Amino acid sequence: MRTFNFASEAEKVNPLVPHTAELVVGAIAFTLLFLVLRRAVVPMFEKAFTARTEAIQGGLERAEQAQLEAQRALVQYNEQLSSAQGEASKLREEARIQGAAILEDLRTKAQDEAARITAAAHSSIEAERQQAITSLRNEVGALAVELASKIVGEALDDQARQSRIVDRFIEDLEKSQK
Amino acid sequence: MTHEPTNRREENALWSIFGYLVSGLLFWGGVGWAADHFLNTKYFTLVGLLVGMAGALYLVWLRFGRD
Amino acid sequence: MRAFIQLHAEGDGFVPPSTNDFNLPPITESIAWLTKPVLLVFLSVILISVFFILSSRKAAVVPSKLQFAGESIYAFVRNDLARDVIGHDFMRFVPYLFTLFTFVLTNNIFGIIPLLQFPAMSHVGFPYVLAIFTFLVFHYVGIRKKGLGKYFKEIAFMPGVPLPVYILLTPIELATFFIVRPLTLSLRLFANMFAGHLLLLVFIMGGDYMMHDSHLIMKLFSPFSFAFGIALTFFEFMVQCLQAYIFTLLTALYIAGALADEH
Repeated sequence: MRTFNFASEAEKVNPLVPHTAELVVGAIAFTLLFLVLRRAVVPMFEKAFTARTEAIQGGLERAEQAQLEAQRALVQYNEQLSSAQGEASKLREEARIQGAAILEDLRTKAQDEAARITAAAHSSIEAERQQAITSLRNEVGALAVELASKIVGEALDDQARQSRIVDRFIEDLEKSQK
Repeated sequence: MTHEPTNRREENALWSIFGYLVSGLLFWGGVGWAADHFLNTKYFTLVGLLVGMAGALYLVWLRFGRD
Repeated sequence: MRAFIQLHAEGDGFVPPSTNDFNLPPITESIAWLTKPVLLVFLSVILISVFFILSSRKAAVVPSKLQFAGESIYAFVRNDLARDVIGHDFMRFVPYLFTLFTFVLTNNIFGIIPLLQFPAMSHVGFPYVLAIFTFLVFHYVGIRKKGLGKYFKEIAFMPGVPLPVYILLTPIELATFFIVRPLTLSLRLFANMFAGHLLLLVFIMGGDYMMHDSHLIMKLFSPFSFAFGIALTFFEFMVQCLQAYIFTLLTALYIAGALADEH
């Protein structure tokens, strides 16, 4: 190692032999730069890179979240839709059943009424017929007795006999009717 | 080398060839030259250079060509 | 530069630039060590520090132009050099590789920057220092990872070779790892910067000499010399970037090799 050669001294120098000063200066300068860059620059750039990665990743995650949410909303909607449809069909079914029941009810009621009316009519007709028969019988009896009294000229005062006669007459009448 | 991409591996091989050739030629060429110098012969330098070159190429093959 | 021109203009004929043109006098006579390259190296430290501190200060997610510029260089070293070459656990070496790249690049580029116009790396002391640092770093991490014995064994004895062959191979391996690597690393950078600067000097000073020559033909040809010098300047810029890249790349490759599990 040599110290210094000036350009003015035209001696031959070997360019492969370093200056001591340059070795020292090079080492110091490089170390200094290394410390500065390692302390102040590399961490900052790494911070920026990390932040950028996170920003991108965060965006992706947000998008994913939104998609998930949409999916969930869709599922929920579909569920609601299907449950509403089920509800509606259930209601319809119920209404149908109820309607049928009402109809059935009404029919039986009408039938009952009809039956009741028919029965009432029957009984009133029967009663009238009985009445008619009774009154007819009485009238016919009275007429027959009167007629017979007139014919026989004898008063049929004996009650028992009177009624026996009337009965036989009516029986005959009925027989002749048939 | 374990996890290097292949292009880096080739690059590494090229630089290694350079380094091995330089040291192979210098060392074995130097040995040959010394032999010539002390034994008053003429051909050991050439033999040394060839041996050095062969050794260098063999090393590169060992390191990069085997697998 | 002007000193040379005057010096040679006074002389009889054209004195081609030589290795002596790289021995610049101290800035002031009283401080012998303060030469131009020394000053340039310190200037580079200041410039690099200021530029990267300013550009990384905000560390914004959306970078400004300045941050983008600094970040691109950083990302290049971090991803293309450190991560791709070293792989797993590369972050440990990013500060070193980043410093190496910016330091070499800046000092190389000083060679073509007007007024500065001297590549500090053409003084062999600086490349030596950097190569020594790289040498220490890659051996240190190798020894740290594998232990002293295993590390040397892996270097010296390649597995899968018959025993006698080690006589042939081991010297080459040892020479490569401990002498040739740091030496070629530093000399490659030095020689490129030295030769490039010399070449520029030849054409620029040659052009200057021809311009001041009494012959008309010489004067006429002087612009061509200058033009070639300018074209060479662009070429030099490429070489300067490339050499910074190669120096850093080789350092990363050496570190990766020292960390690799098997040869």
